[in-house]
Amino acid sequence: MQNKNIRNFSIIAHIDHGKSTIADRLIEYTGTLTKREMEAQVLDNMDLERERGITIKAQTVRLDYKGKDGQLYQLNLIDTPGHVDFTYEVSRSLAACEGALLVVDAAQGVEAQTLANVYMALENDLEIVPVINKIDLPSADPERVKEEIENTIGLDTSNAVLASAKSGIGIEEILDSIVDYIPAPEGDENAPLQALIFDSFFDSYKGVIAHVRVKQGHIKKGMKLKMMATGKTFEVTDVGCFKPQPVDVGHLDVGEVGFVAGSLKDVRDVQVGDTITFADNPAAEPLPGYRGVTPMVYCGLYPVDSSDYDNLKDALEKMQINDAALVFEPETSVALGFGFRCGFLGLLHMDVIQERLEREYNLKLITTAPSVIYHVFKTDGSQVDVSNPSDLPPQTEIEHIEEPYVKATVIVPNDFVGAVMEISQDKRGEFKTMDYLDENRVMITYHIPLNEIIFDYFDRLKSATRGYASLDYELADYQESKLVKVDILLNGDPVDALSTIVHKDRAAGRGRQLASKLKEIIPQQMFEIPIQAAIGSKVIARENVRARRKDVLAKCYGGDISRKRKLLEKQKEGKKRMKAVGSVEVPQEAFMAILKID
Amino acid sequence: MDAKQWGVYVHIPFCRQKCFYCDFPSFAGRERYWEDYTGALCREIAVRGSYYRQQWGKPATIYLGGGTPSILPEKFMKQLLSELRQIFLPDGKAEEFTVECNPGTVDEPYLAMLRNRGVNRLSFGVQSFDDTLLKRIGRIHNGQQAVDAVAMARRVGFANLSLDLMYGLPGQTLEQLKESVEQALSLKPEHISIYGLQLEEGTAFYRMQELGKLNLPTDDVTEAMYDYMTEYLPSQGYERYEISNFARPGFESRHNMSYWQDVPYLGVGAAAHSYLDGQRWAAFAELDRYMDAIKENRIPVEPEEAATTAIAIEEFCFLALRTAKGISREKFLQKFGREMDVWYGTVLRDLSARKLLVDDGRYVRLTRQGMKYGNLVFEKFLLDAQDF
Repeated sequence: MQNKNIRNFSIIAHIDHGKSTIADRLIEYTGTLTKREMEAQVLDNMDLERERGITIKAQTVRLDYKGKDGQLYQLNLIDTPGHVDFTYEVSRSLAACEGALLVVDAAQGVEAQTLANVYMALENDLEIVPVINKIDLPSADPERVKEEIENTIGLDTSNAVLASAKSGIGIEEILDSIVDYIPAPEGDENAPLQALIFDSFFDSYKGVIAHVRVKQGHIKKGMKLKMMATGKTFEVTDVGCFKPQPVDVGHLDVGEVGFVAGSLKDVRDVQVGDTITFADNPAAEPLPGYRGVTPMVYCGLYPVDSSDYDNLKDALEKMQINDAALVFEPETSVALGFGFRCGFLGLLHMDVIQERLEREYNLKLITTAPSVIYHVFKTDGSQVDVSNPSDLPPQTEIEHIEEPYVKATVIVPNDFVGAVMEISQDKRGEFKTMDYLDENRVMITYHIPLNEIIFDYFDRLKSATRGYASLDYELADYQESKLVKVDILLNGDPVDALSTIVHKDRAAGRGRQLASKLKEIIPQQMFEIPIQAAIGSKVIARENVRARRKDVLAKCYGGDISRKRKLLEKQKEGKKRMKAVGSVEVPQEAFMAILKID
Repeated sequence: MDAKQWGVYVHIPFCRQKCFYCDFPSFAGRERYWEDYTGALCREIAVRGSYYRQQWGKPATIYLGGGTPSILPEKFMKQLLSELRQIFLPDGKAEEFTVECNPGTVDEPYLAMLRNRGVNRLSFGVQSFDDTLLKRIGRIHNGQQAVDAVAMARRVGFANLSLDLMYGLPGQTLEQLKESVEQALSLKPEHISIYGLQLEEGTAFYRMQELGKLNLPTDDVTEAMYDYMTEYLPSQGYERYEISNFARPGFESRHNMSYWQDVPYLGVGAAAHSYLDGQRWAAFAELDRYMDAIKENRIPVEPEEAATTAIAIEEFCFLALRTAKGISREKFLQKFGREMDVWYGTVLRDLSARKLLVDDGRYVRLTRQGMKYGNLVFEKFLLDAQDF
């Protein structure tokens, strides 16, 4: 295909603004798949994704479209993950494109995450085609939304397409706009290869399959190639495009988007953002923007049934095959036994992995409260990274601790500015900027500890703003904070998995809240259970779970036996998620209690 | 075929008035069924009863329960007892032959009639001697009637009487309970059963509780009642031989013990359960369905869950654990071919360490604490699929 007939684009949209539906319609309209072949949402093909209405793994599809001028165009849609955890992945997907559709809900307007992605697209010099979707909603106000786009982003909206993907309105116009406004890719067919990896997945027959955009040069079957960052070399066994299932076409030319495979076994050899080049005649420079995977949030994963340890290990290894961002290493907890410390891109990533482990591998897990990575500077001059509160050195050995801060961007209707500020201050945020997007909507930025973000910041924002707040954040820097470890003792014994690191000024309050939350969660047992929160040896809060009352079926005669056994089975089932910590049975949710206190 | 121990249960699903806490299969205001139902029972006894009688010999125990068996008019009760004696008791005597009675439904001639036809044990549903409380829970009798009924039973020659008492009733205080217990003791029964009120779905009390109109004692009070009775009754010569049952030595209910000791029993009548050759069966609970089946010469029962070894082991254990004697390791080995430690080694060690049970090498039994938290112990005796 001649470069001038290729268009590479992605779709930027907030959750629920209709990205997947638009993608479906484009696939359908261009005949890439017949309606019969289409699942409801082709691009979001994991169950979980469909359930949550978000895209976790990027997907790519090549659409063949005959333009108004009668020429055949190759349109490559690169779908991007739609969540703040995956900012880096989004940036690489955008770097593979020349343009993007900006899809905005005609009733709801621009949201924080959309904005973040638009800025990222602009940084990558992408041409942006605004699409106002859901124009047939009664509450649609396309003119206001256009104005908002012009005010906030400074985009010219005179070429904006008015569409309703659901009703099939504006689909042809979208395709024509892609052809008309998004530039064709440039590049030298004969230069040394530079192909950008923007995603990868594991196929049990072909090994790791890399999603690539050829920036310079070309790829053919049989070529010897090399990953510039990881140094891994391989021979191309399969190369082709997605329709949307992979189709081996034997080559990818400059400007094209598709996949490469070559018996690569380890997904970590195929890093998002890396550049593929010729093994023998490499490009002088890799493409810009590569960075290694850096987990932001850590938590412990433990099997409820300790005999499941090996199963959990297998499952994590299998997941990692397809998810280079997931890291884990064995960890031992006094309370929970053997498990794994796992690192994630963010809370959603963590949730998704945990749910998949339980759903796909049928494991019952205990997850400890998530933690960020603290930089601990010790009095002996050394520095350690701590992602598990129970690993924090004794207070006497700590010179100071630094914690990660993020730049958080919140967009809300102006009525809620006060609420956002109140919550953000309460979360130790430092106010940075406030800008009016239009008369009604305000964008506020805060410099705020990541630790506070993962502790229910967004939940509180949403409930204080009746769901209107949208949030985006990116790692800013590390700063010194006065942090202490709060330990929890059950029945007099410290439970390492319940320890948490909090700011000194809030430690007493957190300790009290945590103790009283645990009192609600931990069921009565045969003896009274004291719950204490302590900093070092100083107890800062105390609660008691009273001893449970007698619990025995009074009557069990000839007619009752089967029924009584079923009652016992039900009772046993209810306890499957309890972990015996010493002599206390602790339900799974206790280890997440810290996230549930207000 | 060698004689073996087994029992017969006969269900009488009628009562004058449904008690507010009762979820048993029993119906008020079905007088028109009495005659046909008695006929159906006799027919079932003649057919199913004869079969097991031939197989296993004479049953050790017969138990008429309900509902309220004593609500059956003399004519029908006589007919039923004759049938039972004819089929099961050629010599006229059973080791234990119990009829449950409501103190408000009996008079002396009726009790004499029972006595003369081989019944040798009566179980009175007394519940309380406090008339206000009795009314509040839907009982049709009062305290004095209970006192009178016991006196009449003694006069006609019953030497084995049991009284049921309830605690944890709406508005009941510990003092009221103590008074009822003292009154019960003054009647010198051979046997006492105590039942904490359980709210069962579908009962009047359950609905009242949902509406917040049931003034139940607090958990603290109910527990104090339990502690009081489980301590006091043994001190008065009533040994606690099962979680809720107390008896003077030698007067333990043999029939009820058979439920907990893996002894087979034949249940006759609507909704009656049977345990035969290791399989549990339930008779049709609806009266019409039951009687139609009998009329059409069909066996009126259907199997409960298919018996599996796992279920058999679980039930063997948690039923035996209800008794003071506990699980006989030898009986377990005989029945299942392997020591119980094969399945329960860890459980036994863990529960012993927590002082919930005692394992003396011959018997495994609950401690006093273990009885109080019986459900927690029983639960541990449920097996996982992976154990097989």
